[in-house]
Amino acid sequence: MNDIHLKNVSKHFGSLKALNDITFTIPKSSVTVLLGPSGCGKTTMMRIIAGLEEPTSGQVFFDDLEATNVPTRRRNIGMVFQYPVIYKGTSVRRNLELPLLSEKLSKDEITKRVDEVAELLGITEHLKAQVDELDNGTRQKIAVGREVARQPRIILFDEPITNIDITAKLELKRSLKELFSRLKQTIIYVTHDQTEAMTLADQIALMKDGSIMQCDSPSEIYKNPKSEFAGWFLGNPGMNFVVDKFINVKGNDIGSALFSQSIPLGAKAAQVKTLGVRAEGISVSNSQTPGSVSARILSKSLGTGGQYLLNLAYGDLTVKARVPHYLGRQLENNVWTTVANENVMFFDDAGNAV
Amino acid sequence: MGVKFASKDKAIKAKSKSGQKGEKSFGWKLLIPVLAFFGFFNIVPTLWMLGLSFNDYKLISSNAPHYVGLSNYQSFLADQQVAHAVNRTFVFLAFAIIFQTTLGILIGVLFWRNDKLRGRRLALTLLFTPMVVTPVASALFWKLILDPNFGVGNYFLQIFGIAKIDVLTSQSLAFPTLLVVDTWMWTPFMALMTLAALGSVPKAELEAASIDRLPLFTVIKTVVWPHAKFILMLGILLRSIDAFKTMDLSLIMTDGGPGDKTELIALSLYRYAFKSFNLGYSSAISVFLLFIAISLTSIYLYVLNLKSRKEA
Repeated sequence: MNDIHLKNVSKHFGSLKALNDITFTIPKSSVTVLLGPSGCGKTTMMRIIAGLEEPTSGQVFFDDLEATNVPTRRRNIGMVFQYPVIYKGTSVRRNLELPLLSEKLSKDEITKRVDEVAELLGITEHLKAQVDELDNGTRQKIAVGREVARQPRIILFDEPITNIDITAKLELKRSLKELFSRLKQTIIYVTHDQTEAMTLADQIALMKDGSIMQCDSPSEIYKNPKSEFAGWFLGNPGMNFVVDKFINVKGNDIGSALFSQSIPLGAKAAQVKTLGVRAEGISVSNSQTPGSVSARILSKSLGTGGQYLLNLAYGDLTVKARVPHYLGRQLENNVWTTVANENVMFFDDAGNAV
Repeated sequence: MGVKFASKDKAIKAKSKSGQKGEKSFGWKLLIPVLAFFGFFNIVPTLWMLGLSFNDYKLISSNAPHYVGLSNYQSFLADQQVAHAVNRTFVFLAFAIIFQTTLGILIGVLFWRNDKLRGRRLALTLLFTPMVVTPVASALFWKLILDPNFGVGNYFLQIFGIAKIDVLTSQSLAFPTLLVVDTWMWTPFMALMTLAALGSVPKAELEAASIDRLPLFTVIKTVVWPHAKFILMLGILLRSIDAFKTMDLSLIMTDGGPGDKTELIALSLYRYAFKSFNLGYSSAISVFLLFIAISLTSIYLYVLNLKSRKEA
């Protein structure tokens, strides 16, 4: 069932086109992450859904009812901002209660909801404290709690952990993950951080220059990027790209220094301009195996999770590979590598997957 | 090793202490010009005035100033005319602040809520015109408008068949007319302060309040007021001090009349100092006015501090 649907939505700020003709659906009870670099239009899209910006053209639907011109107050949404927004000069409990007071709920219900949410976010001990005294991490938890306690139709998160120190960031990320899985609510989460997106999302909408490049589950978007941009933006390091001067197209087959035998691609082969291989898609070994090609290690460094990141050279072609820690330590300078056919992506001139 | 570190630590501390001292004295040196200016043009005249208030000193008398103790203050406290003028000034101040703050806030909110309105800038510029015109010019201009014989105001009344009114010589209307003109002149100032105060409220907090569907009163109390109060209260403070000193309006428009219906304390002071040339007595009145201005400032600062202390 659909909760929110955007139809041909565009937003221009003077000559700047923040959103270009976006048509997009957000399913009910799911976490949708809008991911993209700064200035790609993700926050603008969220603000249009919230009613804080009006689209230049296009329509917004909530449950199949048009909501394009419905004021923010009547949309029944919650939103957590980039900077923790708290109502100053009041206690934490009062902050969580304030929106509930206008919902015409009974006193017991309000207390119950506030206590539950405080427990969920681990801020019960702060309930009596004045919000002004608390650090940014706790303030952001209060801001999250305030929206969750209201139980709106949808909660929007606008880069909520960007402006928080590193310890609080990890803690809040964990709380959010747990919260999202417990709530089963429609959530839109804006971020430029792929780790956050991969951890929290049910579906990721990858955005660039005001358009949605791809919308899929995190694993699908990672494994099968539909564009070079998606391959480059997701993954650490991003996808390796082999440009056309290192590619041999022979009829319907595609060859490269990365693999010993050409890959049969059929009629599509003619369109291919770039090959894409993820760093972990390259198997590296000290000894020659069937189908392997030789490569030279230019540099080795320890990456996240203790894995080794290798810079490999195949003649003039250099790529990055990632190998487990135990293997990385053993590797000599000259190695043998293989790339399975299913680990190779093909892109055309415009950077779209073939 | 430990000893070595400790001695190094001490050396660093000593160095930073002397560095701090140097920085401090440099700061004071930078302040010298402004302190000298402030002292020469502010403190010296104030002390001079304080001294004069204990002396009998009339410019039209050939007697040299001589010390009379609290005599000027005693006659000032016994002076019924001055007492009336002070009362009148407080009434003027109260009404001016109430009208101007209310209207100023309304206009400020109107402009703030409609920030994308066409012609907003032009309207703002026009609105602020009365504030930039010299008060004497404004007073003259209103005197001419309200003139019973050739004033535009009465001309329009006549068109609608209403009899001419000479508001500036009317026992009941002269004082309210001064208030209206003062309000016309200074409401833009309060509107400007309101706009500045509202501009200091973070946009995200207002957006959060509308998302959280907070009622208007709660939004004002918990979101707008904590941010806007300092600038708004400063506006009220400045306006209060200024209203207490109002002199030009009543001097030009009514000369304190009819009778003493529009005689404000600053006008009385002007008369004692520059018409009767009784500098000793007028200095005593000035000291009283200074005391009022300082009291008003202290009250406002106390109120603001008290609120922030409570919040903390």
